[in-house]
Amino acid sequence: MSVSADWSWPRVALAGARDALMLPAWIVGFGLIGIGSLAHDVGYPVGVAVLSTILVWAGPSQVLFFASIAAGAAWSAIAIAVGFASLRFLPMTMAIMPLLRRPGQSVWQQLLLSHYVAVTAWTEGLRRLPGIPPHQRVVYFLGFANACMVVSSIGTFSGYYLLGALPTPFAAGLLCLTPIFFLVSLTAGLRHLADVVAVALGLALAPLCERFIGGGFDLIVSGLIAGSIAFLIGRRRKAAA
Amino acid sequence: MTQPIALLDGPFWPYLALILFAVLPTEIWRWLAVGLARGLDTDSPLLEWVRMVATALLAGIVAKLIVSPPGVLAAAPLFVRVAAIGAAAAVMALTRRRMMLAVLTGEAVLVGGVFLFAKF
Repeated sequence: MSVSADWSWPRVALAGARDALMLPAWIVGFGLIGIGSLAHDVGYPVGVAVLSTILVWAGPSQVLFFASIAAGAAWSAIAIAVGFASLRFLPMTMAIMPLLRRPGQSVWQQLLLSHYVAVTAWTEGLRRLPGIPPHQRVVYFLGFANACMVVSSIGTFSGYYLLGALPTPFAAGLLCLTPIFFLVSLTAGLRHLADVVAVALGLALAPLCERFIGGGFDLIVSGLIAGSIAFLIGRRRKAAA
Repeated sequence: MTQPIALLDGPFWPYLALILFAVLPTEIWRWLAVGLARGLDTDSPLLEWVRMVATALLAGIVAKLIVSPPGVLAAAPLFVRVAAIGAAAAVMALTRRRMMLAVLTGEAVLVGGVFLFAKF
């Protein structure tokens, strides 16, 4: 829904929460049910599962953390793997911060806002924020992202107790929600040929690089190559137009 | 199973491990980005490049989760996992991006595929 420039802040926050509850929050919430089960499998308390959703706020990092513990990886290796998998937040956060920045905003508020950057708030934010009056974007974004976080915390909590009791096909289905939803959110945000190239090449190169590079560097290498090619194609077309 | 670090072990170990080995390595990139984004203009070419790399990285995560799946998702054969992603993408392309329908289609293919082709 659109936000009017003269709305009070609670109304803007509610509009953000409502947009999240229309669909995105539920998908993230269902997607993070699997985290609860992974935490349960390694014998960690339910509080750690729910806190991982609130504090890490990145499905793949959480999957890596609990799955690596289950696999018996060294702590240093776990931290490095999570760090590499989360490197995407550097370009993602850099891309969305200029939309949320306001004159006179404190660094603390920016750090707080950056915490909510994850696939949903990012793809939806890049799509929706430009159409919202600049002075209302922060409140809208917080309403949207917090609604996602509350639903997801409930999802993680229930997954901790539920998923073990679920038949295999449905348990597998819940774990597959994360990649399916990531891809659907990415395709929802496609605008130009360059975006399509970035997604297609990113998909194709990651398994190839995993095969030939490894050591945790594979994802960032494939992302840099695919992203740079897409960027050059976008520039070319802009120059030609 | 990775054992706790002996020196720091105790009832709060799982929380400490979460902070040290999951929260910090994730959050540091977001904080770093806040610093780096200062003064960047919304339509600068640098930001366009950064956005493309971020998009490709996210797509890469999708491919990795499909090729090397976590937990019980490994029960689904590779072709079922790929078919699920393909079906979701096809719905997005053919129905003017109806997200809910795309997610449900992908899920239906995966759950149905596990019923049909997996031994569990």
